[in-house]
Amino acid sequence: MNNLLKQVFRSSRFTIGFVIFIIMFITIIFYPLFVRDDPLAMIGGLFNKPGTYISVSDVLNTDYIDLKIDTSAAKLKSISIEDRQSMADWLVKFGNIKKSEININDIAALVKLWNENYSAAAAQTGLLYAEKQQYIRLNNQINKLINSGDQYIATKDDNGQLVEKDPVSPRAFVNSKDIINKKTFVLGTDNFGRDVLTELVAATGTSLKIGLVAGTIATFIGLLLGLLAGYVGGTLDDFILFITNLFTVIPSFILLVLISFSVGQSARGVMLTASIIGLTSWPWTARSVRSQVISLRNRDHVNLSKLSGHSLHKIIFTDILPYVASYVVMAFILQISSGILSEAQLSMLGLGPATTKVSTLGLMMNWAMQYKAPIAGAWWAFLPVILAITLISFSLNLMNTGLDQVFNPQLRD
Amino acid sequence: MKGYKKYYTKKIIWYVITLVIAVILNFLLPRLMPGDPVSAIAARTAVGMTSQTAIQKVYEDYVKAFGIDKPIYVQFFNYITNALKGNFGVSFIYYPRTVSDILARSIWWTVCLQLPAIIVGWLLGNILGAVAAYIKGAWDKAVLPVFLFLSNMPAFGMAIILQFFFAVYLKWFPASLGYGYDMIPNLSLKFIGSIIYHYQLPFWSIVLITIGGQAIGMRSMSIYELNADYVKYSRFLGIKDRKIVKYVFRNAMLPQITGLALSLGTMVGGALVAEMIFSYPGLGTTLLSAITGRDYPVISACTLIITIMVLIANLIVEILYGFIDPRIKAAQQE
Amino acid sequence: MGKIILKVNNLNTKYITRQRENIFAVNDVSLEIEEGKSLGIAGESGCGKSTLALSLMGYYFAPLHYISGDIIIDGKNISGMKPDDVRKQILGNEIAYIPQSAMNALNPTQKIISLIEDVIHAHNPKAAKKDIYDLAKERFELLGLPSEVLQKHPVELSGGMKQRTVIAISTILSPKVLIADEPSSALDVTSQKMVIKMLKSLMQKGLIKSMIFITHELPLLYNVTDDIMVMYAGQIVEKGTAREMVFDPMHPYSKGLMGSIIVPEAGSKNRKLIAIPGTPPNLKHPPEGCRFAERCRYVKPECKMNGVPLKKFGEGRMYRCICSIEELKEAYGDE
Ligand SMILES: Nc1ncnc2c1ncn2[C@@H]1O[C@H](COP(=O)(O)OP(=O)(O)OP(=O)(O)O)[C@@H](O)[C@H]1O
Ligand SMILES: [Mg+2]
Repeated sequence: MNNLLKQVFRSSRFTIGFVIFIIMFITIIFYPLFVRDDPLAMIGGLFNKPGTYISVSDVLNTDYIDLKIDTSAAKLKSISIEDRQSMADWLVKFGNIKKSEININDIAALVKLWNENYSAAAAQTGLLYAEKQQYIRLNNQINKLINSGDQYIATKDDNGQLVEKDPVSPRAFVNSKDIINKKTFVLGTDNFGRDVLTELVAATGTSLKIGLVAGTIATFIGLLLGLLAGYVGGTLDDFILFITNLFTVIPSFILLVLISFSVGQSARGVMLTASIIGLTSWPWTARSVRSQVISLRNRDHVNLSKLSGHSLHKIIFTDILPYVASYVVMAFILQISSGILSEAQLSMLGLGPATTKVSTLGLMMNWAMQYKAPIAGAWWAFLPVILAITLISFSLNLMNTGLDQVFNPQLRD
Repeated sequence: MKGYKKYYTKKIIWYVITLVIAVILNFLLPRLMPGDPVSAIAARTAVGMTSQTAIQKVYEDYVKAFGIDKPIYVQFFNYITNALKGNFGVSFIYYPRTVSDILARSIWWTVCLQLPAIIVGWLLGNILGAVAAYIKGAWDKAVLPVFLFLSNMPAFGMAIILQFFFAVYLKWFPASLGYGYDMIPNLSLKFIGSIIYHYQLPFWSIVLITIGGQAIGMRSMSIYELNADYVKYSRFLGIKDRKIVKYVFRNAMLPQITGLALSLGTMVGGALVAEMIFSYPGLGTTLLSAITGRDYPVISACTLIITIMVLIANLIVEILYGFIDPRIKAAQQE
Repeated sequence: MGKIILKVNNLNTKYITRQRENIFAVNDVSLEIEEGKSLGIAGESGCGKSTLALSLMGYYFAPLHYISGDIIIDGKNISGMKPDDVRKQILGNEIAYIPQSAMNALNPTQKIISLIEDVIHAHNPKAAKKDIYDLAKERFELLGLPSEVLQKHPVELSGGMKQRTVIAISTILSPKVLIADEPSSALDVTSQKMVIKMLKSLMQKGLIKSMIFITHELPLLYNVTDDIMVMYAGQIVEKGTAREMVFDPMHPYSKGLMGSIIVPEAGSKNRKLIAIPGTPPNLKHPPEGCRFAERCRYVKPECKMNGVPLKKFGEGRMYRCICSIEELKEAYGDE
């Protein structure tokens, strides 16, 4: 046993897969100990970008410190490229500036030139009235940016009148440590304003559970049918093989859709979904177990056992199971990852677990798609989920190929 | 030749039986489930005036055509006769369009998208896998993890990533639909251009997903074959490596064909979800909107038709396989 | 004395494993075969018989590596040739090989005739298909094989038929030397006899000029080959005519091998010799002195000190032991 473990871990593929999987597993277990928020609590807004959010009211109520930092240059940066281009056009056409003197990337210099040369009263031959108006508006906008004077905090007095309380100079800063109310969304928020990271960790946990349950059911059924078909043979084998072949060609995805739709929204919890997936995905396991058992059936040790009059279940448990164990473990690993994938696909169709209590990777994807996250550019709402699904199945498959190499040495390259 | 005939007759009979069972499942599963959408439909017609009159009429038509309130064997008989006539009832949400009318269009979108994509992905995957097995060394080591990672990405994941990157971020391709939303289907160059333009992202996302799995399978098959006894023996006979490599890849390819037949169902499932991502006007998107709208006639017809398509594809693959692999023929003559 | 077809002088080869260890599987082997003669090589599993066969053919593809020695086929020294040139010029037409497991030796998806075409084209690219077919048909009939076999795929042939087909394919170009590596060990008794009959008729009809027959059952070689060579741990331990070797083995190992009963161990492809206790030395670190010393009943302290040279005695017989013939005879006589 020890020796086997050593051999298994000598396979670099297995080890890499195992490490990735364990890291994810540890995160699932320990993350909630540090972040105690409810993963489905709606604390943010629709698709908030990743980042740290601080309370504006806290900022206003915190003591300011004047820092001698020139904030105007940063402000000017907000002038868009198109606006800069049209400023440059105007300056070249009507301000007698050579094109070479203008660099639209150096916004400070551009604004300086603009202030020196622009005049709404200048003769702007060739410009439409609307275009002239446009330039006036642009000029106003720039002036506002430059001259934006102090802003004021006001409160309402007893009569409902606004009363100035405090001027806010552009050079006033607060220390972010003094702000009590802040929240970091490492991966932003989703369409319901939930913290994606916290939700993702919880969802990965649930999905893994679904994979485990589905994998266990599928492996159990597959193992049972495979053993019976392979060992007992005869008509039973023909029958089981027929059923197995049947369910390998009828797409399990379709069965999943049919069953999930038919059981109805109200009944479809996480466990039921997992069971449905398990019930439709055993044929692969049954197939491979069957062919293994058939190749074992006529081995000498099995014959010996038969001749010694051992009972069927004794032969199966002591002479056959240990030999197919490695295949069963590998099939189980694959079933887990395909279970997770099936749940995700079902949920994307709106046939996943109908629950608002927990989240799964599939449900997160479904929400992201329904709220058009990709079109909205909210990558944080779906990329991490896809990555999580891929990583789980990648790590499980790596472990699987690693095991395969150990158990089937001729594949070793 | 006799062996072939027997083989194919057997195969075809088997597929016909499978088809019958698939049809029965398609009919029976919804009716056996506790939630039972079918009795829900029957119940709705009984409620009378609670729903709008028009909808009510749709339901009643359906109940009548399919005899939902009758005993189950009558229902089955009605279902079969209707299905044979291509009558799947009227869509609940697109009333008064019939289900067959809706599906007749989407089938072609799906077939034209998935068939070429799966074939191209399969071919590319096999070539890359064979090359990786043959070249070995650094190239293989670098490429293998990429294949592995690709093959583990869900189809919809690849679709979304391509959509986000190439359509939303780079704006090179349209993010959704099968052709420009402002166009009316016709045979003009502009329209065909638009179809090709919209085809790219869904197509490549399915291709990329297919490549990964196939490449890995082909690679390990080829490595296995390269170590086979007949390779050594052929060398002992003085046969050139180029020739031997041909033997090896041919032999490694054969199980890949069966592999394709076996995994077709899974692939199509993934590809349907990928279709949805792009709102491609195929069966996947139709299925999604039917599920969202609880449009039972459309769902039932969709699942049936997808099953039939997969069965046909499987049968074709198996027939081709019988032609290529002499082992099948020999097995038949025993 | 006939013309010498194959001559090997002090051949040494090794395997380099994945873990970069050396396995010295052929150690200082010399042999000669005359035209029309056959040589049997016997020895227990893992002693390097197959490796010697590969080495003789100049088949140096990883992990097998050439160290030193000469291989001269019909006057032509092939030991310095590149493996790819060997494959083009030597393999198949000068020297042919029948592999240990003919069961899987044929490409399962290729017709027999197509493989024969490939073999002939590898050595004569211009050969016409028609000629190849005629040649193959004639050859198959000559060897008592039905010519329908040519149009079949390997799966359609029985085990014995497959083995005989492999023999016919290997010798299609009438090679000068044929190496048959345990061609009969996986077959039932009738098929075994047919295979051996076929090999003999190949010699008689002059389709091959000489033959090396490898087996782990020394007694089997009697009546099949003219000379017999016994190998142990990569070395020749004794050589003589078939009659001498079977009825009067000199080396303690040959003696044991002659008297040993060979039983296939259940479920494994390796077979064990029961009569000689112990296991052969590890060829990664061969012992300094006599390689058989560990298992020898007549071992003396000196045996383990220095390597033992091959000594000549009688008419062309050789043996590798520090004892003289008289000492050995005396020791055996005790029993
Ligand atoms: N490809 C290889 N790589 C490394 N070592 C090898 C390889 N093939 C054989 N050997 C080693 O070389 C030695 C001789 O092997 P060989 O196959 O020549 O034995 P053999 O006498 O033909 O045995 P058998 O009767 O079982 O065929 C053995 O110790 C074996 O472990
Ligand atoms: Mg051997």
